[in-house]
Order: sequence, then structure tokens, then C-alpha cells
Amino acid sequence: MRRTIKMVLGTVLIAIIAFYPRFFGIYYTNVFVTFAIFALYAVTLNLLLGYTGLLSFGHAMFFGTGAYGTALALEHIGGCPLLVALLIGFLSAVALALILSPIMVRVSGTAFAMLHLAFGQLMFVLALKLRGITGGEDGIGGFPIPPLNIPGIVSIDMANPLNFYYFAIVVLGLSLWILWFFTKTPFGSIMISVRDNANRVDYMGFKVPHAKAVIYTFAGAFAGVAGSIYALFQNLISAEDGFHVFVSFAPIMMTMVGGIGSFFGPVMGSAIFGIIEELTSRYTERVELVMGLILILVIMYAPMGFLGLINLFKAKYFGSLPQKAEMEEAS
Amino acid sequence: MDPVTAMYVAQGIHGLAYGMILFLLASGLTLIFGMMGILNLAHAAFFMLSAYFCYQVLVMTESFWLALLIAPVATGLIGVVLERFLLRRVHALGHIGELILTVGVSLVILEGVKVFWGTESLPVKVPPYLEGLISIAGLEYPIYRIFIIGLSFFVLGILALVLYKTRLGMVVRAAVSDADMVNSLGINVPLVFMFVFGLGTWLAGVAGVAIAPILTVFPGLGDQVGLDAFMVVVVGGFGSLGGAFLVSIIFGLLSSYGVQFVSQLAPVLMFIFMAIVLVIKPMGLFGERE
Repeated sequence: MRRTIKMVLGTVLIAIIAFYPRFFGIYYTNVFVTFAIFALYAVTLNLLLGYTGLLSFGHAMFFGTGAYGTALALEHIGGCPLLVALLIGFLSAVALALILSPIMVRVSGTAFAMLHLAFGQLMFVLALKLRGITGGEDGIGGFPIPPLNIPGIVSIDMANPLNFYYFAIVVLGLSLWILWFFTKTPFGSIMISVRDNANRVDYMGFKVPHAKAVIYTFAGAFAGVAGSIYALFQNLISAEDGFHVFVSFAPIMMTMVGGIGSFFGPVMGSAIFGIIEELTSRYTERVELVMGLILILVIMYAPMGFLGLINLFKAKYFGSLPQKAEMEEAS
Repeated sequence: MDPVTAMYVAQGIHGLAYGMILFLLASGLTLIFGMMGILNLAHAAFFMLSAYFCYQVLVMTESFWLALLIAPVATGLIGVVLERFLLRRVHALGHIGELILTVGVSLVILEGVKVFWGTESLPVKVPPYLEGLISIAGLEYPIYRIFIIGLSFFVLGILALVLYKTRLGMVVRAAVSDADMVNSLGINVPLVFMFVFGLGTWLAGVAGVAIAPILTVFPGLGDQVGLDAFMVVVVGGFGSLGGAFLVSIIFGLLSSYGVQFVSQLAPVLMFIFMAIVLVIKPMGLFGERE
């Protein structure tokens, strides 16, 4: 029965996403792509924060590295196919994660957060200063967006926003599905156990640093995918958009606003952020003021986020207790 | 005096002045973040807010000394209000809660400042006797930079005296190291924490007033130096004033000599320094706990 309901809901969701551009027009299609990019990005951060209990203040470096990787590939490699450019963005984020992981798996808590702040800022400054490669403040823009070529079958023009929408949604959705599947594997359970009691995981014969390194690489790699799609979507990537410290803070806030510790909390948070920005920018120029007030209100009155509120509501009116794992704080 | 030495000395003074302002800011952060363990990302926003208060007092009274007195105190009072009514309630949520709250507060301060004062940079004039150069032993020093160094030493000397030589300082140090125990001894620990938080933001306020005449006052004033101050606290070791002092001076000199010798890489030097220290000692140079 539950299975049938899930099937029906899933089909409805896919149908809505498929027909979304027809109903809402091109402007809201682009808003949706932005939402989806940040949803994936926030989910990768939640993999570290909510699941493994590692707070990172520099997650933007993977986002930015993925974005720059793709942008540079398209800028310099003539006739670089779309999927190869995407793969290059992905692989450059993987490379960064692999370089950093030997250092990062040794620390946790505040040192982990601060080391990420340091390396994130390092990347930001490098992107600003190495003008010859990254274009400094202006970033890299106007690189050619190749069509999606599947040899012998089809060639889809990516300059059309509608086509790009479907491409972005498929890539992001697939990434989300891989990450979701990842959390459901036995290894995903190790992830949560590392958060709850790293010592005991060690006693049970699992290698905590190795496990952390794998999770770290996964989180970094898919943040890279989000960045890569972002660069393709904007046809521009600058240090400000890719590496700024607020790009690191944004997914943390989305995760908190949406609800920490559940897989779809950050997705919800990204949606809430998108809606708030969309609504407030219509009435006032002080979007950030509203944002700040909302953050304060959320943390004061609904610290478990939006999903936490829903669970509370459920518990109050439908009597089913919220699951313990979802109520637990991940710090 | 040959020009090369003069240049070295001038860069050294610049570096020291920046280092001391950084230390003023970082010492407040050491109290709040290092000792009390409260992650306060609004620290740089207070720094910036105080510079605006300084500008406002100057416009109204035309007295720099009055601005130096009033602006930090006003900033400190806002800090006290923040601690009493907001931060205290989210402390149980740990660093993430504090992160969200203080980012929210700094966004509000940043936008509020833009609403009241606009976005253009506002000049702050110092009294005439603090302007210009002074020559000692054949070398020329900018007076205001020297004044900043002196002011910082004065403020921090008093801070150190209060923290390490008075009964109040003893209570503060005890309260941050074991709040429960001190609370059960009949001391009002929440009040002490409120006081320490206010003191920390007051220090940020002094730094804000000190830097206002050099950089002029604009909304992005605290961005760079705020991050630097965080790195100082982390590299120096949590809760270590001495460590913060040493690292502030190192950062100040790194940035001023760095600009001179490797101008392309100058902003990176501090991060490299931080990364090296943290990789070798995750708790910082003089830190005892993480």
C-alpha cells in the first residue's frame, strides 16, 4: 500500500517537473534550475554536517572548483563535448577532495570548520589573484556551451533554456538519487555511526579516517557537479559566485532552515530560500535584511527547521512520534 | 637616512598598526569565541557598526575623543543586548545555531547601516595633531599609526590587568573554564557572560573607531579584517591572549611586507601560515583545547 502511494507520488512529482516549464514560463524555469543547483549543493553539505557531524565553513571550494573546472575546459579545449566538460568539473572537485582529505580526516569539530574556512579563503584569493587563469574579479564568462551530443542518436542545443532545464534537472536529479542511494547503503550507516560515536566504530573494526575520506570525497565531488551546472547555467563563474565565504554559509543555512539530519531537509531549505528571495525582491531591495531576520527567527523559534516543524505538527495532531534520528542534533 | 631602510621601517610601522588593530578585534573574539566558546560571526559587523557610530558622533560633536569614548560603548551595549536576548537562547544548539543567528544579525546590521547611512564611504577626520608625520632619529613616522599602536597597548594593558590581576578577572576566567562550578559557588554566571560578551564587542568597537580614519567608513569595512581576526584566534589558540597577540603581529607584518615583496601572493600568505600551523597543531599555537 505504502509502496503504491510512493509510486503514485513519485510519478506525480516527475510529471510536475516535466511539465513545469509549460506552466510557469521561462523566468520561473530559471528560478527552478537555481533552486535545484543549490538543493544538490546543500545536500552534499548535509552529507558532512547532518550525517557525519562535520561542520565545514569552506564547502564553496568544491562548488567553485567544479564550476571553474567546467568553465576552463569549455574555454580552452576547442570542441569539448558537454558531458566531458561536466566530467572535468566533477573530477577537479574529486581531485581537490583527495588532496585535502589526508589533512581533513584527522581533525574534527572546530578545527575542521576553521581549516575549511582557511582553505576556502585560500581558493577565493587564488581565484581573485591568478588573473591569467581565472580572470580575477570578472571571472570566466561567455565560454561556448556545446550541444549535448550523443553520437549517432541525437544532438540537443543547450542554448535553448528549455533544453538546458531538462539537462540540468536530469543531471541534478541523478546526482541526488546517487547520494540518496549512498546514504541507504551499509556504508551510509557507518557515516551516521561516525557522527554518533567514532570511537566505537573504530573498535568494531571499521577504519574511521578511511570512511571519512570516502564521505568527504563524495560530498566534494557532487558539490563540484552542482558548481559545474551552475557555471553552465550562468555561462559565467567568478570568484565571488564560486568561492566567497557566503557561498560556503548558504548551504549550512539552507540545511538548518530546511531541517538537519534528514536527506530532503536541505532540498526543502533551498526551496524556502528561493521562495523568500523571489517574494522579497519583488517588494523591497533589502532582501538581505529580510533574510537576516528570517534566520534569527528560525533559529530562535524553530531550530529544527521546516521539517522539524512538520514533525512537531504531526506529533501534535496525528500522534505519531517523530523519529529519534530526525530530532537529534547533529553537532 | 637611506631610502631603503626608511621604506622597511615605514612598512614595519604599517604592519604593526594593522597587527594591533587586528589584535584589538581578535582579543574581543578571543574572549567571546576562544574563552566562552560562542561562535560570533557578527563580530566584524560590530566593528563596522562602531566605525559608523564614530562618524555619527563626529558629525554631531566634532570631537574625535568623544567618538572614541562613545562609539565603542554604544557598540558594546548592543552586544550585551544581543547576548542577553538572542544568543543565550540558542547556546544549547551549539556552533551551528550560533552561526545561523550571528550571520542573521550581521546581515541585519549590514543592511541597517545601508538604510541609515547609505553605501558610499564616509570620511572621518582626526584632530590636526594626530595627522602628518613625526621624525624620530632621522626617520619619519606617521603619527596616527603610532597613536593606534599606543592606544592598542593601553587598552589591552588595561584588559590584561583586569583579567589577570583583579577579583572580577578571576571570576571571569573561572566562569569560562567551568561555568557550572562557578555558578554553584553563588556567582551569577549568565551575568558574567553578558559582561564578557559586552567587553568583547567593546573591543571590536575600539578597533572600528581606530581604523575609521585610515580606511574611511563603508559597509564592507569589516569583511577582510573580520576573517583575519577569526584566523588569528584559531591560529593563536583558543582563549590565549598571548597567542592572539603574537599571531596578530605576524599577520600584520606578513601583509605589509608581503605586499612589498610578493604582491601577487600577499593575501595568500596568511592562509598558508594558518594551514601549516593547523596541520601541525590542530589546536593552534598556544591552545590547550580544541
